[in-house]
Amino acid sequence: MFTKDRIAKVLAGSAAAALLTCGASASHADEIIKLGLSIPLSGAAANWGKGSEWLCNAAAKEVADAGGVKVGGKVYNYKCVAYDNKYNAAEGTKVAQTLLNRDGIRFIGGSLGTAPVKALQSLSEREGALHFTTAWGSSIKGPKFPLTFTIMNTVNEISFPLTRYVKEANPSIKTVSLLNPNDATGQETEALARKAWTAAGVQVISSDWYDRGTTEFQPIASKMAAAKADVIDLASTPPADSGVVFKELKVLGWKGVQAVQVGTGAEGIIATGGAAVDGTYMGAAMVFDSALTTPKQKKLNDAAKAAIGESLNSVQISFYDSVMALKAAMEASQSIDPKLVAAALPTVKFESFYGVASGFGGKDVYGTPQQILIPVIVTQIKNGKLTEVRRIVSEEMKQRK
Amino acid sequence: MQTALQLLFTALQIGSIYILFSLGLTLIFGVMKIVNFAHGQFFTLSALLVSVLVPWFAHHDVPLLPAYLLAAVIAVAVSVALGMLTYQFGFRFFQRDLSGSFILSIGLVLLLEGAYLHYFGGAVRTVPPIIAGDVSILGVTLTSQRLLLGLAAIVATGALYWILMVTQFGKAMRAVAIDHEAAMLQGIPFKRIAFQGFAVATLLGAVAGALLAPISVISPTLGADYLIKGFIAVIIGGLGSVPGAIIGSLFIALVESIGGFYFDPSIANLTIFILVMLVLMVRPHGLLGNR
Repeated sequence: MFTKDRIAKVLAGSAAAALLTCGASASHADEIIKLGLSIPLSGAAANWGKGSEWLCNAAAKEVADAGGVKVGGKVYNYKCVAYDNKYNAAEGTKVAQTLLNRDGIRFIGGSLGTAPVKALQSLSEREGALHFTTAWGSSIKGPKFPLTFTIMNTVNEISFPLTRYVKEANPSIKTVSLLNPNDATGQETEALARKAWTAAGVQVISSDWYDRGTTEFQPIASKMAAAKADVIDLASTPPADSGVVFKELKVLGWKGVQAVQVGTGAEGIIATGGAAVDGTYMGAAMVFDSALTTPKQKKLNDAAKAAIGESLNSVQISFYDSVMALKAAMEASQSIDPKLVAAALPTVKFESFYGVASGFGGKDVYGTPQQILIPVIVTQIKNGKLTEVRRIVSEEMKQRK
Repeated sequence: MQTALQLLFTALQIGSIYILFSLGLTLIFGVMKIVNFAHGQFFTLSALLVSVLVPWFAHHDVPLLPAYLLAAVIAVAVSVALGMLTYQFGFRFFQRDLSGSFILSIGLVLLLEGAYLHYFGGAVRTVPPIIAGDVSILGVTLTSQRLLLGLAAIVATGALYWILMVTQFGKAMRAVAIDHEAAMLQGIPFKRIAFQGFAVATLLGAVAGALLAPISVISPTLGADYLIKGFIAVIIGGLGSVPGAIIGSLFIALVESIGGFYFDPSIANLTIFILVMLVLMVRPHGLLGNR
């Protein structure tokens, strides 16, 4: 029987339980650290942004499942907050204002695109926010920017070992033609690619530019084919565009060594280039079905593929690594003060997506240790499949081990 | 000589798709006196649908060519239906209203691009080659597929030209484009012609998208590049002028082809904008535009 007393007891119990739950939630909410993301979520680069956000969330969940970030007797968890920078400086500025001034975020878990990243950096350094970025430009690093950390291999790390490897594998090559998108990323890549090929003993005979969003590549393919270079390096050209260029080059009868120095993923280039991209070398792509692939990498990639429709690329992977690096630095410094965490970052080691103990270095190159230390993975497309042909570990990384 | 021929053929191939695209833009302006920036979205939808349907049909054992034709028919039909919806619930109320239609069409661009991104995903899509192999014409190598699709675009353009010049509907559209009030006084049903004109324009954009799908990389933002080029072509040729759109499209394709070869695509694009400025300084209404 439901007596009045019993109903009253049940109600009182329920109220007490509800209050306790609310209290627990409130204390849980106090321990959330927001990680701001400035990424493209619309336009041609939207999938890069979507994958980046997905991996940030996956890493945050992994941290939470492992017991959170333990600092000063408290447990913190991460929450990724993403805004669309549309891959341009104007939107990047708006995102910077929103993240840092409106939301009061003090940790940027990742930013994508040199132009919007520069816009964000100008504010994050002033506001004392720690900023992880995937932007390749070396101009964003150095003693002037103590709170900025690059979380993926950039052209500086990739270009020289990759060109050296391609020259070793194809000793007869003597000339190269370059193609890059005409923006900050392309311009910085071109300058370094030029130096790297020259250092490898290969002469750069032409270097061309195109605007992102271009859909017709026949004219530039005709020009590059006419130059008759031994190598065509599409450097920072996105994978899908690269596939189209190589396809047009094959129709025009050009035969030679193909490279996309900072090619980040194989699916786009294979989808658009088909058989024409066979043999292409890339310096920033990741293979997910080799003997070296770990079960964790495979699991994350399969889940990401189901969510975003394509395999993860090295840009997106960086958003996982930034979360792991931040956790390690917070626990090492026992602080959530961005400046103290930044000071601890060069001293910590953490397990990156690549399955190795990573850290930050590059002081000799950039003046301060702000560059993630991970291996350069040289890949080649063989019979329509991406294969790893060499894993190059830098001297600094070897010394760290 | 061979280089010149290669560049000419390249220009014709690129130009054939630009023509189809810009004809739709100019037709809408001619009849309704509005600039439809959402035109590229119908084009994109058609290409996206082809890229989804061809592999689906192929997976269900339909041979590639029939699969493509079937996919193209469905894609064009769906795109035209979407165009009609936007007309019925939007553009119909903004005829001869440049600023109103501008805001509406920009809003539609954002809405539809977001929807495509959500439903089709951001990953690039491709259509398997419908016709394999290359052909050599006067020493210039072209893919059979590009050649055939270029020819299809030329046939579609020819058909439109014939409709406009010979049929009663075409004549009515031209009359409305010249002076809609005078046309109405002659008994031409303006509203019906505007509706049908919008439908034909959307059809052209959708056909261009379906034709382009097998030779291009398809993404939800595909229409943006074509919209800019198509719009420039229409400005150069003269807003509302059908021959102007054809000339403008070929002009842009030639600059792109020659500029891209002798300089680079970035400079070719810059040259296009400079030439547009020069044309507008000399002929503010375009090469064949009317006041």
